[in-house]
Amino acid sequence: MNPFPIVLSLRHRQRVTLIFFVALITFAVALGVAITTQERAVRQGSARAADKFDLVVGAPGSPFDLVLASVYARPTSMGLVPAEDLARLMAEPEADMVAPIGFGDSIEGFPLMGTTAQFVSHLSGDLAEGQIFAHEDELVIGANVPLKVGDIVHAAHDALDSEEHLHEGSLTIVGRMARTQSAWDNAVVAPIEQVWESHGLLNGHAPTEEAHEEAAEDASDDHDAEAHNDHAAPVGPPFDPAYLAGVPAVVVKSANVPAAYGLRTAYRTSSTQAVFPAEILVQLYAVLGDARAIMSFLALATQVLVVAAILSGVMVILQLFRTRFAVLRALGASRGYVFLVAWSYVAMLIAAGALAGLVLGVLASYGVSRFLELRSGIAIPVSLAWQDVQFVLALILVGAAMAVIPAVGVFRQPVVDGLN
Amino acid sequence: MLTVSGLLHRFDTADANARAAVHIPELSVPAGRFVVITGPSGSGKTTLLYLLSGLLRPSQGSIAWSGQDIVPMHEGQRDDWRRRHAGFVFQNFNLIEEMTAYQNVTVAAYFSAFSDRQVRGKARQLLAQLGVPDEKRQISSYSRGEQQRIALARALVFDPPILFADEPTASLDITNSKGLAEQFQVLSRAGKSVIVVSHDPVVIGAADSVIRLDHGRLVALSSEAVA
Repeated sequence: MNPFPIVLSLRHRQRVTLIFFVALITFAVALGVAITTQERAVRQGSARAADKFDLVVGAPGSPFDLVLASVYARPTSMGLVPAEDLARLMAEPEADMVAPIGFGDSIEGFPLMGTTAQFVSHLSGDLAEGQIFAHEDELVIGANVPLKVGDIVHAAHDALDSEEHLHEGSLTIVGRMARTQSAWDNAVVAPIEQVWESHGLLNGHAPTEEAHEEAAEDASDDHDAEAHNDHAAPVGPPFDPAYLAGVPAVVVKSANVPAAYGLRTAYRTSSTQAVFPAEILVQLYAVLGDARAIMSFLALATQVLVVAAILSGVMVILQLFRTRFAVLRALGASRGYVFLVAWSYVAMLIAAGALAGLVLGVLASYGVSRFLELRSGIAIPVSLAWQDVQFVLALILVGAAMAVIPAVGVFRQPVVDGLN
Repeated sequence: MLTVSGLLHRFDTADANARAAVHIPELSVPAGRFVVITGPSGSGKTTLLYLLSGLLRPSQGSIAWSGQDIVPMHEGQRDDWRRRHAGFVFQNFNLIEEMTAYQNVTVAAYFSAFSDRQVRGKARQLLAQLGVPDEKRQISSYSRGEQQRIALARALVFDPPILFADEPTASLDITNSKGLAEQFQVLSRAGKSVIVVSHDPVVIGAADSVIRLDHGRLVALSSEAVA
C-alpha cells in the first residue's frame, strides 16, 4: 500500500489554507527553537567571554557590577580597590598575572578600559594590526571598534562624548587587538597609567628627573597639576607600590586552581571582594534557566494549541475530500488505506511545519546572535543540540498521534455518504 | 450470474415499519449481460447499484455473484471482493484532477496487490483502445467525453468481471453517450456483466436487459433478466 501519491494529490487542494496552517506551525515551533538555542548561545558566549578572567578583585559591593564592568566592559560607578591592596596583590607569589583595570571614560562612545600590555596580550595574543601601547598617550582598539590605527582621539568623561566633557590631551591609536570574542572587542584599551593620570591620580611610577624639571617649569607657568606627568615615560609593570593609585577592578591569573581559591579567600576582606566570574555566571544562568523553562513550556503549550487548532481546520478540509475517499473505497481501497492517506496527509502537514520551524528557529537565533554580537562584542555561538531536535520530534510525534483523530473520521465515513 | 433473493433495504433501521428503499424478492441476471437499472428519481436505482456492488449492506436478503453471497461479508471482505471483481464508473467521473490520465487509470495499484509495473501495459492499451490521447496530460486538459473514457479505463484496468456505472452519460453529449453505450455492449459481449444506472434512452436502448424500479420495487423487466 502506498498512500503518498494520493496524499501528494490532496496537497494541491486548498493550497492557501494549507500554507497558512504550515506557516502557523512553523512560527510556533521557530519561537520555541529560537528561545532554547538563543538561551544556550548566550550562556556559552558569556561563559567563553569570561574564560580569560580567572579571578576578579574589586571593592566591596555588587559582584555582578564588578563582573559586568571588568569582564563585559560595562563600566558603572564603583568603589576602588585601595592602592595598598593592589600593591599586595601585585606581590602575591601565587599570581602569574595581576592586571589593574580602570574605566569610566569613553572614546567615540566606546568604553575606555585602562590596563596593562600584558593583559592585552593575555586577552588577544598577537595584535591584528599595529603595536601595543608603549606610552600613556597611546591606545589599542578592540576588533569591532570602527577607528583606524593612526587616528588621534580624545577621551571623554564617563560615557559622554560632547566637547565640554573631553579630557585634555590627545591619544593616538597604535594598534588593533585580534578578535577576542569578548566584550573587549568593542572597547578602546589604554595603559592604566593614562586612566589614572586623566583622573588626577598617581600613575604607578616614581617621577623621573625630566618629569620633575618639566613639572617645575609647568608650575612656574601656572599650569595645572596634570602637567607634571611624563607622557613619554614607558608604561606597565613593574609598578612602584608607593605611587600606585586605586582601581575599580583587578584581574588575577593564578598559578593554579588551589592558588585561585586561596587568593579568592585572601581578598574577601573589608576593603576588597574577590569573585570567580564563573560563579557569578552560574547564579545568572540559574535565573536564565528558570526563565528558559517557563518560556519553553509556554512555547510548547503554544505549539500544541496551534496543532490542535489546525487539526480542527484539517478535519473540515478532509470533509471536502470525502468524495475522493469514497471513490477510492468504491474502487476497492480498504478503510485502512483511506485512514493511512488521511493520517499521512495531516502528519505530513505537521511534520513539514515543525521541520520548517526548526530551520526558521535556528536562522532567527543566528539573527539575534548577530544583533547581540554587534551590540556587545561577545560572540554568541548558536548551535543546534540534539535536545532541540528531540523537542521538534516530540511535537511531530504528538501531532502524529493527534492526526489519528481526523483519520478515524475518514475511516468511519460510510462510502455511500461520500458518493452521494 | 447475479442472483438476488429477498432483498430489502431500509435506511432507517430502527423503524421496522419504515418504507423500504429497495425491495426485490427475486432477481436473476445471467453473466455477461449489459443491464440498465432505470426509473424515476428517488426510485432506488442508485441504492440498488450500491447494494449489488457491496458498497451498501442490505437490511435483509442475499446478493450472490457467481454463487458467492456478498451480504454476509464484513466490510474488509467486501472491499477485497470489489477490488478483485468490480470496476466503477461515476456520473461526474471522479477522477483525481492533480494526476495525469495514466496515473488515474493505475490509481488502484496504490492499494491493490498489483504493482504499477504489472498494470502499466494494460493501462496504456486501454487508453489507446478508448481513444484517449497523450496519457501524461493533466485531467483538466481533457474533454468531458475523454474524461469519462479515462474513468472507464480506470474501472477496467484490473480486468474485472463486473462493471458498475452510475449515470455515466449524464454529463455527456449524445455522441459521447452513444460511444460509451457501445463500449458497454462490447464489454458485455466480451463476457463482463455491465450494470448501469441510467435514464438515458441511448443507454437504455443499447442494453440487453432493463430493470425498471419505482419506490424501490421492481415494476418492469425486459429481456433475459428473471424476476
